[in-house]
Amino acid sequence: MNENKLKAKDFITIGIFTALVFIVEYACGMLGFIHPYFIASYVILIPIVGSIPMMLFYTKVEKFGMITIMSVLIAIIMFVTGMGWLGAPLIIISGLIADLIAKKGGYKSFKMTALSHGVFCLWICANYFPVIVTADNYRKNLIDGGFSADYCDALFSVINAKTIAILLILCIVFGVVGAFVGKAVVRKHFEKAGIV
Amino acid sequence: MRKLELDPRTKLFMIFAMSMIVMVPAFSTLQMAIRIIVTVIPILLMMLEGKYAAAIRFAVLYAAALILQHYYLSVESRGVFSALITGYCSIVVQFMPAMITAWYAIRTTKIGDFMSAMQKMHIPDGVSISLAVVMRFFPTIKEEYENINDAMRMRGIAMGGGKVTKMIEYRLIPVMFSCVNIGDELSAAAVTRGLGAPIKRTSARELKLRAVDYATMAVFAVSTVLFMAAKNIG
Repeated sequence: MNENKLKAKDFITIGIFTALVFIVEYACGMLGFIHPYFIASYVILIPIVGSIPMMLFYTKVEKFGMITIMSVLIAIIMFVTGMGWLGAPLIIISGLIADLIAKKGGYKSFKMTALSHGVFCLWICANYFPVIVTADNYRKNLIDGGFSADYCDALFSVINAKTIAILLILCIVFGVVGAFVGKAVVRKHFEKAGIV
Repeated sequence: MRKLELDPRTKLFMIFAMSMIVMVPAFSTLQMAIRIIVTVIPILLMMLEGKYAAAIRFAVLYAAALILQHYYLSVESRGVFSALITGYCSIVVQFMPAMITAWYAIRTTKIGDFMSAMQKMHIPDGVSISLAVVMRFFPTIKEEYENINDAMRMRGIAMGGGKVTKMIEYRLIPVMFSCVNIGDELSAAAVTRGLGAPIKRTSARELKLRAVDYATMAVFAVSTVLFMAAKNIG
């Protein structure tokens, strides 16, 4: 049997952590309905909170493909929950690159893992894609959908074609910062308990 | 009465069509009508499978949000309270149809059927196994989370001493602990039963697309096309 081939156990690990990451994303996403600035702050919130399950996931990743499959699953879940497919390529590509970076560090080097987590966090920006690409439609949709004009103006002032570059960079930066936070939490709780 | 069971592939197609429909904004009355019709179908199907409580709950919630949004809210609504209501209604109206369909598909599909349907569609094993685990895990996480919440309330630390970071830490960490353990047990159980064995998987129950399946798929396909076309006609 090839040692580098993914086994059933790995697939189950992927499934569990995808569910956990998605729960974090969902919980943070609920905040977005309070004020649009929260939507922009996903790039900070999700990498940092989501890093806790992700860092535990990275300790379990030893083979190429696990992070890629996770990104495919996230793309599928996003599609099913009505976020659309516009972001899917971004999600899968960032997952693949993150996987390649982590592989370069042999899935052990923390420097590579932090960088890889930064790249992986780019998937969060996929949430913004419908807002930017279909800006006019989306605005009308929101207003028809009952959002107030205040909400829309604020939303489009923070998320548009100009700010997306900043948001993408923030994603990577906070992804790397999150990696340190997550690492500290994992060390504090899980290594002591002997789970890692 | 014999229960009406749809093929998992039909359910997947329903989810797919539904995601297309909820994603595009609905402007005209025709589009709204289509959206409501396709939302009613999974609710009816749930009833046919005997899930009355859930079906009624979804129906009431959806209807309430729809009525509230349609009659009482407009572009001029301001203030914190109306913003909250608006937010709530928009979540429900926007995502409820997809949620109902997904809930219906997940709750009425046996994992074995799901796996053999995925196999028939030639989806790689890795994706289908992981996806099955994700589907199975959402209820588990919810259950574990509720247990942890109860335990915290009993000790009087439900608010984590008022610190946001503590509130997250005290909840997320125990949930992750139990999930990792459950995952280990799950994979041990699954491997014992032959998951990941190097031979082709067979099923006790042969999946077949019946007339009902084709009819449902046709309804959803036509609705999707109509919905898209209505936008261009205006």
